[in-house]
Amino acid sequence: MSNTNQLAQLTLDGPVARLALNRPDARNALSLDLLGAMHQEVDRLQSRAPGGPHVLIISGVGKSFCAGMDLKAVLDNNRLALELLTSLAEWTLKIRRLPMVVVASVNGAAIGGGCGLACVCDLAITHADSKMGYPEVDLGVCPAVVAPWLVRKVGAGRARKILLTGGLMSGREAHACGMVDVLCESASQLDETVESVARRLASGGSNALAATKGLLNQLDGSLDDSIVMRGAQLSAQVLATPEAQSRLRAKFSS
Amino acid sequence: MIRTHVHGDVYEVVLARAEKRNALTPDMLGQLCTAIGETPREAGGLLLTGEGAVFCAGFDLSLCKDAPGGEVMRALLEGLHRAISALRRLEIPVVVGAHGAAIAGGCALLGGGDLVVTNSDAKLGYPVVRLGVSPAISAPFLRRLAGDGVARSRMLENGLISGREALVCGLAHECLPAPDAVRDFALEAARMLAAKPRGALAATRRWLDEISPIELDVEALHVSTALAGGEEERRLLPQAWAAR
Repeated sequence: MSNTNQLAQLTLDGPVARLALNRPDARNALSLDLLGAMHQEVDRLQSRAPGGPHVLIISGVGKSFCAGMDLKAVLDNNRLALELLTSLAEWTLKIRRLPMVVVASVNGAAIGGGCGLACVCDLAITHADSKMGYPEVDLGVCPAVVAPWLVRKVGAGRARKILLTGGLMSGREAHACGMVDVLCESASQLDETVESVARRLASGGSNALAATKGLLNQLDGSLDDSIVMRGAQLSAQVLATPEAQSRLRAKFSS
Repeated sequence: MIRTHVHGDVYEVVLARAEKRNALTPDMLGQLCTAIGETPREAGGLLLTGEGAVFCAGFDLSLCKDAPGGEVMRALLEGLHRAISALRRLEIPVVVGAHGAAIAGGCALLGGGDLVVTNSDAKLGYPVVRLGVSPAISAPFLRRLAGDGVARSRMLENGLISGREALVCGLAHECLPAPDAVRDFALEAARMLAAKPRGALAATRRWLDEISPIELDVEALHVSTALAGGEEERRLLPQAWAAR
């Protein structure tokens, strides 16, 4: 059921489906190719007949969950940058529209766009020592695509603090501020914790889960595609500014 | 009643009426708005703090004694609305160092901050409905700071919570053990924010305002001012000065 050569691997196992980001040598940084593979795999899930999985677990192969957008490849080309950000925006909208409950199993660093992946999921689970956060402003970049999902996850006030202060936090701190829903003490306990949450979710009625998720989507504005798509444009605009370009070049050359 | 200082990139605005626990008067709120309006162009962050034992104990309600028609209460409410709006409209991040107490109008000022720092045993809250006063004016700002549920319980429940509890419910973002440490910590946070790339910070702040806008703030002010000088307020407000 899975193809190990792919950048993203979907595995179907009864009521629980798994999507693994499989670019461990680049800490699962989101390139156009990786996002393309993630789109393809999620589309396969969408096209499945009723009676399909109730739960989708997203995780990263290797030590990181996802190190964020692979900006190095698109720094010189704003058209490609917009394409990359648009692809991320569309993927987050797709995840939110899935009728199943989506769980992020944050096995390691979840940074910037990677933290956005965790926050768009219905539930995020991690261990106390993972690294999460949005250091975009420190790099002169604006986290506009992921901001709406963070606002919906933790509220506008906490989102302001998190996005404006930048930097990274531990899994424990992420749990304290509402970015993470379930925390286990050590990395070695993560799989077991995720399994038990997934089992519990899978035991629920899939129609009830889908209806409830659909209602929550309506209530919190998750179905407003235009905000996230405008976010992609804003993010690309800010990326093209001299401030962002010089900071990112300094980072990539170090 | 308001002092300002420049610390490098940070512009500090200080509530300076320590002998009255920084209780707000219409004049003081006017000075506060002026000070915010005079934020130096080169500043990268604004820090709002209070002198003395506490950040701010709320409105100076003793001034309402001689204005049974509610004129002073209306001026206080309008001044508070202008001050919070002015903080929200700034292009630079705002840090509030709320040590000791942030009560009623003082708690409302937290709604103007991007980052709120307090201490464990500080008292925060909005116990004014018992005085016949409506805290509606602050609702549009407090629900953006701490969410609808917290805004509702703080404004309707009439009690105070500790800084520790404020951290848990989202009314504050940082909570320090000692009140004396709040101002220095908040100044450091403002410096840290002011040192960040300004373009990205301003773009991110504007974007957050766009996706989670302040709504109905003028209508909310009117809900509060409509009760000023009314029968209920005239009956209940005297408790405030009897208690002091």
